[in-house]
Amino acid sequence: MLLAGLLLAATAACELTSPGQPKWNDPSVGKSRWGTDPVFTPARASFGQAFREFLGRRPTEVDQPFPFSHQIHLSKGAQCIDCHSGVESGPRAGLPSINTCMICHSQIATDRPLIMQITEMQAKGVDLNWNRVYSYFPESHVRFEHAPHIRAKVECSTCHGNQAEQTVARRAVDMDMAFCVNCHKQKQASNDCLTCHY
Amino acid sequence: MPDVSLLMADGRGPKADGHMDRRFFIKLTAISGTTAALTACGNPENQIVRFIPEDDLVPGVATWKPSICPLCSAGCGVIARVLEGDAEVFRNGQAGVIRMGLAKKLEGNPDDPISQGKLCARGQAAIQITYHPDRLDKPKKRTGERGSGQFADITWDEAIKEVTAKLNELAAAKDQQSVAYLTKPRRSRRLELVADMLQKFGAKPPVAYEFFSDEVLRRANAASFGAHQLPTFDLENARYVISFGADFLGTWNSAVAHSAAYGRMRQGRPGPRPKFVHVDARLTQTAANADEFVACRPGTEGLLALAIAGDETAENITERTGVPVATIQRLAREFAAHGPAVAIIGGAPLAHSNGLFQAAAVNRLNQAAKTVNQPGGLAFAPQQTVVPTRPMKEILDAAPKVLLIDDVNPVFTSPPAWKVADALRRVPFIVSFAPFIDETSAMADLILPDHSFLESWVDAAPESGSIKAAASAFGPVMRPLYDTRSTADVLLEIARGLAAPLEGMPTSFEAYLNAERRGGTAAAATSASRNAPVADPAWVAPVFDGDASQYPFHFMPYASTAFYDGSLAHLPWLQELPDPMTSAMWSSWVEINERKAEELGIHQGDVVEITSTQGSVRAPAFLNPGIAPDAVAMPVGQGHTNFTRYATNRGVNPISILAPITVGDTGELAWSATRVRIARVGGPDDSLVLFGGATRERPEWAHGRGDDH
Repeated sequence: MLLAGLLLAATAACELTSPGQPKWNDPSVGKSRWGTDPVFTPARASFGQAFREFLGRRPTEVDQPFPFSHQIHLSKGAQCIDCHSGVESGPRAGLPSINTCMICHSQIATDRPLIMQITEMQAKGVDLNWNRVYSYFPESHVRFEHAPHIRAKVECSTCHGNQAEQTVARRAVDMDMAFCVNCHKQKQASNDCLTCHY
Repeated sequence: MPDVSLLMADGRGPKADGHMDRRFFIKLTAISGTTAALTACGNPENQIVRFIPEDDLVPGVATWKPSICPLCSAGCGVIARVLEGDAEVFRNGQAGVIRMGLAKKLEGNPDDPISQGKLCARGQAAIQITYHPDRLDKPKKRTGERGSGQFADITWDEAIKEVTAKLNELAAAKDQQSVAYLTKPRRSRRLELVADMLQKFGAKPPVAYEFFSDEVLRRANAASFGAHQLPTFDLENARYVISFGADFLGTWNSAVAHSAAYGRMRQGRPGPRPKFVHVDARLTQTAANADEFVACRPGTEGLLALAIAGDETAENITERTGVPVATIQRLAREFAAHGPAVAIIGGAPLAHSNGLFQAAAVNRLNQAAKTVNQPGGLAFAPQQTVVPTRPMKEILDAAPKVLLIDDVNPVFTSPPAWKVADALRRVPFIVSFAPFIDETSAMADLILPDHSFLESWVDAAPESGSIKAAASAFGPVMRPLYDTRSTADVLLEIARGLAAPLEGMPTSFEAYLNAERRGGTAAAATSASRNAPVADPAWVAPVFDGDASQYPFHFMPYASTAFYDGSLAHLPWLQELPDPMTSAMWSSWVEINERKAEELGIHQGDVVEITSTQGSVRAPAFLNPGIAPDAVAMPVGQGHTNFTRYATNRGVNPISILAPITVGDTGELAWSATRVRIARVGGPDDSLVLFGGATRERPEWAHGRGDDH
């Protein structure tokens, strides 16, 4: 019985589509054989996602829609905050929209094929669909805020590695709780549970 | 299923007895889980079209933007918490995802004189309108039969061209009077703009319809106080409040403003606590707050008011009202001795054939208390220009050739004898501006969906709730999600496209709201001090539909705390909201007196049939100790036949058995004047869902299972 149940769950997961796909008014999309919505649980799209998170597994390299090179941009003198502009003012640093790229690239390197590609995308009103490289699982109940860390003069590279050596960003630092707590101890920042978990 | 031993590379498998141990179970879980993960999950996010954001947003930082709650005529000011997020949108005819500022939460606006930083449960749920899964995302044109609900997509240009052509046709035939505009009676500059356009086009003023209309009270106030308007009560400073059926803390008039002032009256000031008496035939949410509940026969509340005012003797009215002489005399003594005192009337007592008498009698009581325009009494807020409207009857009588319907659902909220659906079928061309398909918009030829209130310019000039004049106008809180358009702007575009474009029209609704007002604020209508008594209101006996011997019960539909008149039944939070008095949700129910039910052999949850001369409905019974033995009550709001996934075919509509009795000569529906009989037709059918009770709604698959009782 249990085995049958497990395999049933596995087959069910195969049938579930991912959320985020536009599905309104399209009855052909996004229903499992039981007529349920395309979610495995309210927090997870699929069994697979739940399982990966259960094991704490995540890829260090994430597929990105566009092979952006951090190394080139940093070598030309660009600063992190130029594109990740929320980092000083809010909880999240933010991933830049294509408009941010075009601030410079409407003038610079316009003859390169990749730049021409994004110019064309902008003309169509389509943005780059970046995937996040760093994040916490919802169960950890971590509410990370960038701004206080920047104010405390923590270098970006402390948590994100030396981006000048990376092209497309990959997870260079494993941010587990020990990593956070050690740094908080060294800097004499609060290690109260509620500082991060709330 | 493959042989399990094949799965295990090390040769170990289930034990010989066929049972597996824990270790094996976990391994198997891991294997099947990983397989599922690999097969089920590619990276579909990459296939989504992501649009360039239109705003510069700081991620994770919220801003609060002001707006106005559109759900009732109170016009509460709200603030919306706007935070960036990914939304599924339509841009340039394409579906995709965009990062944009999204309204996430509504609260009362602390700077608003009406809401005073508070918001009712309905207002809190208004956020769900914008993100409703069944919201119309683009204009629609009818393809099937009228009312079949079959529509095809159409572009805005085509739709507007079609409306303009119809209007041009009428103008060419000098038949502009055949255009009618049907809307809700809201005091706002938007309605003023609509009325202005209609007048310039040569059509008659807009038609206003609302089921729980306060037109009777306005008429009575015009006669008693010279103000065709709802009063504002200074509850905060009153020492004695008597309410005749007005659910002023729940659904009637400006409930948020009343609740805030009521709280200050009861708890916010030193000295003895003021007294609140409620007169009704049913224990409502407001009645439950009262110090004293006086049960009174439906339709005779006005007599009690006259007796308290001293214009009638207690002995004379005790038989008609059913209130004991001693109680009447005590109330009269208390009312006279504990000034400032104020009397409130609203809801069911006005919805009898003698509603005008009832209102005039309560106005007389307020005049006797000498608190009109005084602290602790009632006053009338100064009004901006009031837009004249026409009653619903005019559409039913003179079938218009082009009908524009804005935010009103008369097919659901009118008694069957009015034959509204038939009247609509006779109209050759109907345009609806509804953001959802409901019973009325399903009859339309064209649906031009309006923005949600958070996506458009909004304004309100509420007629009561604040003693000082209040008027507010705010810009959009967020960008539109879909290919919808603000109705005011669509009308302006139609006006520009006419063969003879209307003159003096603003370029947009935004420009209209921001332009300096012509004229200025109209003087307060209460300039004449009306504390002097006017002629005594003459008693008129209420007329009821149905013979008392055949139909022994008064039928009392009432405004649902969650759905008001049913226009909010599509919001799942409100479906989930337990009714404050019965704790019922997701359903319809019939309230019947406990002892009477015992006499009739009706138990909690039993299905009963309520029959009037107009028809019958079936719903589960809710035994209520706080209702008169000769009355049954039902909340209005459920029983939609076509109104989104959450409301369709849920519960029954009590309006569908109301008789078409009107209040005097006002043409307003006397919705409390129907008599019914009640019969038990079966045991509980699980449709009565009580919060925390033993009954629970069960999904279809649970029915027929043996273990669920």
